[in-house]
Amino acid sequence: MKAALPKIELTLLALALVLPLFLDDFWVLFATRVLILGLMALSFDLVWGYAGIMSFGQALFFGMAGYCAALLATKLDITSVFVLLPVAALVGLIVAFIVAAIVIFGKRPPNLVFVALGTLTGSYVVERLARGWSYVGGQNGIPSLPRLTAGSYEISEGPMFYYMALALLVLIYVAVRILVRSQFGLVLAGIRQQEHRIAFFGYATQNYKGIAFALAGFVAGLSGGLYAFHEGFVGPGQLGPVLSTQVVLYALFGGVGTLIGPIIGTALIDLLGYFLSQLWETGWPIVLGVLLLVIVMFKPTGLIGILVSARERAGSFGHPRVPTLEPSPPVGKEATRAVAERST
Amino acid sequence: MQNDDTNQRLQSYSRRLFLQRASLLTGMVALGGGSYLFNPKGAWAAAPIKVGIATDLTGPISWGGIPNANVAKMVIEEINDHGGLLGRPVQMILEDTATNEQLAVTRVRKLVTQDKVDVVFGGITSSMRNAIKDTIVNRGRTLYIYPQLYEGLECTKYLYCTGPTPAQQCDTFIPWLIKNGGKKFYLPSADYVWPHVLNKYARKVIEANGGEVVGEEYFPVDHNEYSATVNKIMSSGVNVVFNTTIPPGVAAFFKQLYEAGFGKKGGRLACVYYDENALNITPAHEIEGLASCLDYFKAVNDPFGNKVQEKYTKLYGTKNPMTAGSASTGMWRGINLWAESVKAAKSVKREEVAAALDKAKLADGVGGGCEVVPGTWHVKMNMYTAVAKNGKYEIVEKSKGMVDPRECVKA
Repeated sequence: MKAALPKIELTLLALALVLPLFLDDFWVLFATRVLILGLMALSFDLVWGYAGIMSFGQALFFGMAGYCAALLATKLDITSVFVLLPVAALVGLIVAFIVAAIVIFGKRPPNLVFVALGTLTGSYVVERLARGWSYVGGQNGIPSLPRLTAGSYEISEGPMFYYMALALLVLIYVAVRILVRSQFGLVLAGIRQQEHRIAFFGYATQNYKGIAFALAGFVAGLSGGLYAFHEGFVGPGQLGPVLSTQVVLYALFGGVGTLIGPIIGTALIDLLGYFLSQLWETGWPIVLGVLLLVIVMFKPTGLIGILVSARERAGSFGHPRVPTLEPSPPVGKEATRAVAERST
Repeated sequence: MQNDDTNQRLQSYSRRLFLQRASLLTGMVALGGGSYLFNPKGAWAAAPIKVGIATDLTGPISWGGIPNANVAKMVIEEINDHGGLLGRPVQMILEDTATNEQLAVTRVRKLVTQDKVDVVFGGITSSMRNAIKDTIVNRGRTLYIYPQLYEGLECTKYLYCTGPTPAQQCDTFIPWLIKNGGKKFYLPSADYVWPHVLNKYARKVIEANGGEVVGEEYFPVDHNEYSATVNKIMSSGVNVVFNTTIPPGVAAFFKQLYEAGFGKKGGRLACVYYDENALNITPAHEIEGLASCLDYFKAVNDPFGNKVQEKYTKLYGTKNPMTAGSASTGMWRGINLWAESVKAAKSVKREEVAAALDKAKLADGVGGGCEVVPGTWHVKMNMYTAVAKNGKYEIVEKSKGMVDPRECVKA
């Protein structure tokens, strides 16, 4: 199968464009939420699928951005979308940069497990602090956020918000796609497969990883800002390891290293959860959990691996005749091997 | 009441809930929530009135959410057996909020925008209420009734709280503690919203009644080393320990306090979230004499409450009992008050039902009658003080009439 990815991408885009015409109110809201969380899954794919950084802290950037935007809205009465969303994205960028300064930059390259646990701990600690800090509402969070406005126009949830989220997702998607197919992306892919070798070429690999990590923070932050105003509240749960892990699952389920895979994963997990729950009132999480486990174990390239060849997943860079690198990002057994290699 | 953590910890003491706990793990993985339609039995000519129930059927608070849903089902079936409301049947739509605020917003949105329910009941933790209230009340323009005991301060039009507030849990209880314990109070607490707000109120009542707060301390919820605090309590001659630490920390605290001989030397332990479920947290001898104050205990032994309990047990067994601490009594009260209001308003429109709800009363109920205090969105109810003896509660005092919630009153 040649070039399946662009076909999938364009089909989904066309579908997303017309979707609100066929859905009723609730499903438009549902789809908007999928787009927003898909944006966050995209940020995870950038760090794990391309740079090989296992981040269990995407919720940290997502939540911090949401909190900052929510505070601006409730304490300073700022509701303009042109202020709040850029602020959210910037907060994500800055927080991610700070985290990168701790877990990624440094004299020696950190191993995979160190970064995974470092980000997980960060996420956990910040959630706990938020639960105890009364200025940000403690564990109750900040409820009843105002709606975003553009000039005098109020962006209410529904088709309007849907298309705004879609536009932002497409914009970020295209930007990230260009980025990962650029020379920069090639270095990232090299780092993911064999960091030492790339370092021997003279690349400051940690800087590349740090930049990718911070950019992913930017995307997660934007997603967090959108989410807060779409749902109308922020709470400590938006900062914590549960959401961080959820995003990892979205991406693994859909297929990492493809950008579109994690977005498909988000949509499918949300829909599956919804319909399974109608079948078995208290047992649905078990069924869904087992299903996710089966996919991750037996189809480590995710669902998209059914349609997209390993060769295409790795992608081509620059001149078309340049031979592709070793395929597929480290998942399953390869990830274990990567861990072993990096920690030696 | 309380928060996720209380319940999360409470739950960990119950082996039979192991399965639900396992489902939490996968629940973390999962997104989505349950939606179950309970169609009224029999043939009805009119379109149903729709009632949305959003509660935690899975996740750490499922031990509270499951009896909540059971109570709702039971009460709504009763209403339908008596001819429904305004000649229309009542249809219940149940959504699982899965102890996950992020997910709950979507679930509740479904109730409001897709099912177009006429009223939503549910939410157990304050964080859950805060997450979903805007979706229901402001964005969704629907009536919302919250059933759990909590820290108060929720003054939102169209949001009615049918569980006890700090005033209701302190106003009769603290004078009783001073009489049956002493004047020196110590307030060990878990560090989150509910204890902070409750302690502020409790301190006022203690001082107004001639008592004295010797110390007030806040710990992380899973703190387990209390020897410094226990020493302070023992050496400063504290008479009453007014505890708001929660599981799992509370088990260690009660044990250390017991071992220091606080109870034997005549000290009184008090804890206002303790219901029949909570008795299983620690061995009975460690909390002998513990006093609690809630809107209902089985030991109240009122004919009405007994009848409801009997029916509940017949329908759902004893695995998920109907208790005050798990919001079940608040749910019972809430649905019945709402049903009375619909009858009085002869409508299910939000404005009209809210106007009727503002002066709604129940002549009798679980633990006695109750009435909404007009303009405050809170409910006056009887309160009972109970003391744990050999792992069972004994009622030692009943409030003189209904206790005022004292919320949302303009100064």
